[in-house]
Amino acid sequence: MKPIFVRGISNQFRLTLAIILSVALLVANHRLDPVRQNLSSVFSPLQYLASMPGAALDWSSESFATRNMLALQNKELLRQQLLMSERLQRFEHLRQENERLRALLGSPAYLDSRKMVAEVLEVASDPFHHYVVLNHGSRSGVFVGQPVVDAQGVVGQVVQVSEMTSRVLLLSDVSHGLPVRITRNDVRLVANGTGELDEIELRHVAKSTDIRVGDLLVTSGLGNRFPEGYPVARVLEVLTEDGQSYARVTAQPLAALDRIRYVLLIWPSPDSGVTLPNQPTAPAADQSLSEEASKIGSASPAEGTSAETTKPVTTPAATVAKPATETTSPATEVHR
Amino acid sequence: MSFQAANGRFIVWVTLFIGVISQIMPLPSAVDTWRPDWLLMIVLYWSIALPHRYNILTAWMLGLVLDILLGATLGVRSLAMSLVIYVAILHCQRLRNFPKWQQSLVIMLLICMYHLVIYWVEFVMQEAVFDTDLFLPAISGLVIWPWIFWILRRVRRHYKVR
Repeated sequence: MKPIFVRGISNQFRLTLAIILSVALLVANHRLDPVRQNLSSVFSPLQYLASMPGAALDWSSESFATRNMLALQNKELLRQQLLMSERLQRFEHLRQENERLRALLGSPAYLDSRKMVAEVLEVASDPFHHYVVLNHGSRSGVFVGQPVVDAQGVVGQVVQVSEMTSRVLLLSDVSHGLPVRITRNDVRLVANGTGELDEIELRHVAKSTDIRVGDLLVTSGLGNRFPEGYPVARVLEVLTEDGQSYARVTAQPLAALDRIRYVLLIWPSPDSGVTLPNQPTAPAADQSLSEEASKIGSASPAEGTSAETTKPVTTPAATVAKPATETTSPATEVHR
Repeated sequence: MSFQAANGRFIVWVTLFIGVISQIMPLPSAVDTWRPDWLLMIVLYWSIALPHRYNILTAWMLGLVLDILLGATLGVRSLAMSLVIYVAILHCQRLRNFPKWQQSLVIMLLICMYHLVIYWVEFVMQEAVFDTDLFLPAISGLVIWPWIFWILRRVRRHYKVR
């Protein structure tokens, strides 16, 4: 039946060939990005197929829900809607007030940006990388470096785009760094992932830095990738040990990274400080200036309090001063 | 290679395809750490049963597909998988004749080796955090291997795969 002496090339030769090919791939990894993008496009139907059982389960649990459950859910949603609309009224008022104050100060106004809801197709079952795959790709205009948030806070950024899908690097990945600031006192820091889904760390924090447990960290917009002001994490622990040159600060991401299903893709408005892929980079210099100006502006007490209450719904983006009347559409509306 | 015509090639690729799909299927994170390495075990079965047909280069290719789908560094899983399959093919005669429990233990060790190789390569390529959760798939693999073996042997005999 089976040959005892294997003819053709020997196993040792095959293994050597496999090892050489793998090492070549590993070494050339960074140069292979375009190839990889095409390959992911080819394989994305597999990802859709793999997410089908889960989707079918969701569908069946939705369609077989009892009347009682639906009524309960409906009631809860109505209650939430009432709360939200009340908050929205207040928010609308505060937004206008904020814009007027900003116009008075001559500092950049906040602008709405385009957003799109995306569904998580796949979560990487790889212990060393924190990725999720979304069901929108370059066909929907997704680009590399695009910020991704959920209802609670920042989720991460797009690192790889194929035709129909895109891959998001979560902010808890060891290779992810995010410039943040503390809302309480505007101290700037960088939040690094630790490889744990529910923990990020702030590195190189001087022991004398004014940082406390419970402080809210928001994006500072300094990396030119994330718009300013999205909530990121809450400080969990501040450890100052003798003999260590820096304090050890850990924080818990606000986004529920272990159970994300729907996320928002954000297109920063073109005249914000955030650099889009195919955009001339000439005005970058005065943009960073205007961003500095907005930072100085946000130190005033009146602005600070309004920013506190409207945090989850604002989509702030620094821009050259524009008349307040131009931005009238409610910020919570999802375009598209 | 062998002089016999290949038989039942299609059904083997169907099982491998199912392996790939179950490897990337989204699962709740509590179950996810226990996800057995379906693809690795299926490739292991075929390379133990038919080493002259499904061998190191098949494993290398499937590892590469997995790397692309998981968005990992290209070449990590293909390297780990080809090493594991090489060891399995070296001992395929012995593995076939082992009692079930002994076979499962060896498979568990091979799965551990697979994860260790992945960890080492990732560690060399970039920062990777070692976590003993790494070996949970080996334990679930230990439990599941006899079933996979049984099902795939039924498949092999039914379709007369050679």
